[in-house]
Amino acid sequence: MLKALIEPFRNPYPRHLTGESVSGKGDTGKPKTKVQNWSSTLRRVWSYLALRKGKLMLVLLMVVLSSALALLGPYLIGVAVDDYLEGGGGQDWVYFLIGLAVVYTLFSLTSWLQNIWMIEISQETIYRLRFDLFSHLHKLPIPFFGKRQQGEIMSRVTNDIENVSSTLNSSAIQIFSSVLTLIGTVTVMLLLSPLLTLLTFTVVPLMALGMRWITRRTGPLFKQRQRNLGELNGYIEETLSGQRMIKAFSQEDRAIRGFQERNERIRLSGFWALTISGFIPKLMNALNNMSFAIIAGIGGILAIRGAITVGIIIIFVEYARQFTRPLNDLANQWNTLLSAIAGAERVFEVMDEPEESSDEQAAVELKQMDGAIAFEQVSFGYDNNRPTLNGISFKVKPGEMIALVGPTGAGKTTLIQLLSRFYDADSGRVTVDGRDIRSIKRESLRSYMAFVLQDTFLFKGTIRENIRFGRLDATDEEVEQAARLANAEPFILRMKGGYDKVLDIGGSGISQGQKQLLAIARAILANPSILVLDEATSSIDTVTEIKIQEGLERLMEGRTSFVIAHRLNTIRSADRILVLKDGRLLEQGSHDELLRQNGFYRDLYASQLRKMAL
Amino acid sequence: MLKMLSFLYKYRIAAVAALLMMLIELTVEITQPYFIAKIIDDGIRQDDISVVWLWGGVLTVSTALAFACGIASSFFAAHASLGLSYDLREKLYRKVQSFSYSVFNRFAAPSLITRLTADVNQVQDLVFMSLRFMTRVPLVVIGSILMALIVNVKLGLLLVLTVPPLFVFVVWMTRKAIRMFHLVQQRLDNVNGVIQENLIGIRLIRVFVRMANEIGRFGATSGKLMQDSVRVLRLTESTMPFIFLLMNAGIIAVLWFGRQDISTGSATVGEVVAVVNYSLRTIGALSVLSWLVVVYSRSSASAERVQEVLAAEDGMEAAAAGQSAQNACPIEGAVEFDKVSFEYETSELAVLSDISFQTYPGERIAIIGATGSGKSSLIQLIPRLYEPREGAVRVDGTDVRQLNPFALRGAIGYVPQEITLFSGTVRENIAWGREDATMEEVMEAARQAQIHETIGSLSDGYHTMLGQRGVNLSGGQKQRLMIARALIRRPAILILDDSTSALDVRTEAALLEELKMLSCTTFIITQKISSTSSADLILLLDEGRLIAQGKHEELMQTSELYRRIYQSQYGEVAAHA
Repeated sequence: MLKALIEPFRNPYPRHLTGESVSGKGDTGKPKTKVQNWSSTLRRVWSYLALRKGKLMLVLLMVVLSSALALLGPYLIGVAVDDYLEGGGGQDWVYFLIGLAVVYTLFSLTSWLQNIWMIEISQETIYRLRFDLFSHLHKLPIPFFGKRQQGEIMSRVTNDIENVSSTLNSSAIQIFSSVLTLIGTVTVMLLLSPLLTLLTFTVVPLMALGMRWITRRTGPLFKQRQRNLGELNGYIEETLSGQRMIKAFSQEDRAIRGFQERNERIRLSGFWALTISGFIPKLMNALNNMSFAIIAGIGGILAIRGAITVGIIIIFVEYARQFTRPLNDLANQWNTLLSAIAGAERVFEVMDEPEESSDEQAAVELKQMDGAIAFEQVSFGYDNNRPTLNGISFKVKPGEMIALVGPTGAGKTTLIQLLSRFYDADSGRVTVDGRDIRSIKRESLRSYMAFVLQDTFLFKGTIRENIRFGRLDATDEEVEQAARLANAEPFILRMKGGYDKVLDIGGSGISQGQKQLLAIARAILANPSILVLDEATSSIDTVTEIKIQEGLERLMEGRTSFVIAHRLNTIRSADRILVLKDGRLLEQGSHDELLRQNGFYRDLYASQLRKMAL
Repeated sequence: MLKMLSFLYKYRIAAVAALLMMLIELTVEITQPYFIAKIIDDGIRQDDISVVWLWGGVLTVSTALAFACGIASSFFAAHASLGLSYDLREKLYRKVQSFSYSVFNRFAAPSLITRLTADVNQVQDLVFMSLRFMTRVPLVVIGSILMALIVNVKLGLLLVLTVPPLFVFVVWMTRKAIRMFHLVQQRLDNVNGVIQENLIGIRLIRVFVRMANEIGRFGATSGKLMQDSVRVLRLTESTMPFIFLLMNAGIIAVLWFGRQDISTGSATVGEVVAVVNYSLRTIGALSVLSWLVVVYSRSSASAERVQEVLAAEDGMEAAAAGQSAQNACPIEGAVEFDKVSFEYETSELAVLSDISFQTYPGERIAIIGATGSGKSSLIQLIPRLYEPREGAVRVDGTDVRQLNPFALRGAIGYVPQEITLFSGTVRENIAWGREDATMEEVMEAARQAQIHETIGSLSDGYHTMLGQRGVNLSGGQKQRLMIARALIRRPAILILDDSTSALDVRTEAALLEELKMLSCTTFIITQKISSTSSADLILLLDEGRLIAQGKHEELMQTSELYRRIYQSQYGEVAAHA
């Protein structure tokens, strides 16, 4: 029992957030900059809200109206008591009551209207915010995604934005009306007795001090909580995606342990965020009570001295109470506001990530592409100290089929990545039709290329939709034609629902090889000038491969194509073979030429033959 | 929702303490006017300054007490609600981990993610809010109504009369809102799903320049979320105006009848004023109600979604926990399929039909066959990721369903076709196969998997951080890393599902050579005859049927399809050589 009572106070405070002066290094979360951060975050949220300024004004009007009506109600009741109940009064009693009914109805109406309008505004705002965040994700450079867990990014689009959403729904109006009431009350108090008002306000500096103490802590805490939530989300997403491995290796316990660790972290940051932000209304209450005491005490002494009347004290106590309520409301809203700001900050963090270096100003739209490609002294490395590609130069004529050969990690896929401009060369240049690809709009460049990437990806949707991804305006007939060329039709038709069979995310339920067939169909449909097949047939059996070979050959006819493959059959039909090793272009030439060169390729070829001879 | 409350039991002391503290705070608040009255009546009016000091002091002390209680309640409430969400989340995650793989596949991953985060948070919010604020509402409402009845029964009854319609309305509203929030959470799942898809497929989307489409799709999905959110919130936000209307009608009635009663003398003006005052106070307290309706119905919907997962049957996993490690003897690796037929839950097509074969410890088995012929499905039955519909899979002569899955899987090293790496260092990813592995063992496994040298050339060697899907490695490197991860388990049965497809010929040859040294039973799914030719047993699958088995030479003799595959790889090449 006692232990359970003490337990809550023994939760350790998130370590790196303790004390403002502890963190000596770059991360100086000085309160001042924090506040600036907030105001800029708030301003950005406001810029979204401001899009519906008209409606927002209407809401504000309704808030003013309903506040006025809310005051009018009690006043009318006072009138009723004075004029009708006590005095017996005239026959207009019925009219008076009707009037009261009208006031009440109007009050309900205005508060209803302000609510539903605000909801529309806030949900639209949230929608826009979410939409912009998502759109921005598609503008970010590919390396951004390599560094982050998917679930962590997902958390920003869902959890963080939901946090903002719930605040906008409920708190915005509350804050409006609280501020309004506050101003009204203070005005009346000032009119009644400036001296006592001043006394009431003696607690205000204390209030400010307390709030500062609290927000200094809760700001980082809420941020921390959202961060921890993101990490947890990332962990969940990752372990669920890898669930098959966890099962097969029976690592459930380890997965759970990792989960517990992150779960505990979020529990702690959440605990302290909620606890400390929970101090706010308590502090407000206490300070209010204190102001009561001050009014009663000092007012009492003043009254004894005859400086003021008892009546004024009583009225003042009432008003002090009035003064409290909106302040209390505000203080309560402060919690949700803080956590919303933390959410919004994380959203804007992503939005502030620099976009995939935007196209150069002079970048052009391509009208057409012949498919002549040249690499001129191209070097590139993912991290600076270790070049993945080193001084690569070659030329490709339109319509040529190029095979890229070399040991794993030689830089084949990287070369393709440069061509598609996921990355830009560190030095040297890549040209298409004689034009530096950096001077071509990315989208325009890519729209002339079709890729079958190493890891095939299928969307949740029908098979038809998945193939049509290659060219959106393709007719059903064209989709099926492409599937036939890729030799995917037999297995599609064997499935219940055929082309309309719905596939799951990642296409679970069909085999890897079948996924590759669909990916090839997709590329066939795209009808590109440049075709890139990166291990496109690695999971397809050789018999099927021969069947689609014909389709692929037809596809490659008249197009420039790059093929990465390990199977010699695939490679041998290439016009030219580029042999890569350790990021260098070792040899190039046709199959026969390379064999004659007696170099690395011959070695490679021989080793494969030797194996066959077994 | 009630089920969720059972999670609060563990924190009942903190929860009760929080409520108690709130009560003390409330009491102080209520008694304050009394102290002030004392100051005025006994102090100021009597010109007795010592009384003013006395009661002023009491006021100060009680204020301090209220503050202390308030702060403490903050701790207790936060502790109880976060403890609850922690437990709930963990229970949920444990449950998900306990699902058999096929049960797991019934839930969409994005939906599980929302349930584990957003939904649990909703429940937590409700508990926190309840502990902090909810006590106030019923206390004030019941107190006010009672007081009104005491003051004047007839007029008080008018106030009571407003309660049933109010109650009916709130219940109706809450029910409806719960259903609608359920839908909203589903929409959130969908939004989550689209994001996940886009993140996984981001490269493909870029190269096919489909950003605009995907953004459009996201717009549509989150548009639906917006619409449904607006719909349900519009409903719940109507609560307060409606309650006000109802209660205000009550006040008008009180005034109307009150005036009549005053004229007949059965009520006094003071009584009418008092009842009106109590009504006003009730309204004030009820204004919180609409907000509570939102929080309550939303978290009820969330609680149901959490409960759905908790209530799902675990599949075989739970049963397995019971039979514990009765089969303590180490698995040797003899695998037998006895008339096995299998199909996935989601598709009605038989994936495997009537498969029978027998292998002995230490043998190398190559599985070959066309794309979609059932190779991957077959080997997934061995670690019991799925169970056969008919027939039995036996390891060391025992049906795998009788074996403890942890013991069984502990003896298996499985390398799936799809790249599955986890964010962490290279070393962590290899040691993921066996937690207690030493650095030497990690390096040994890496050496066997032909990846040691490559790792050495990485910027931080074994401590290089990998992204979630191992983005900074080439396809072949990832495959070898996964093989190392399987090898470090020193498995009795090693399963390679086309795990060498991205390897160049030399590396692959070196790897296979290395694998020959191992004493484990090895299943290799492959497309290459070169890998099958030295196998002890070749299984040739075609459309889910085992159409031939035997050694290379036998199959060359007996199987037309095998010869065709051979031709497809050797025919021309052989001629060239």
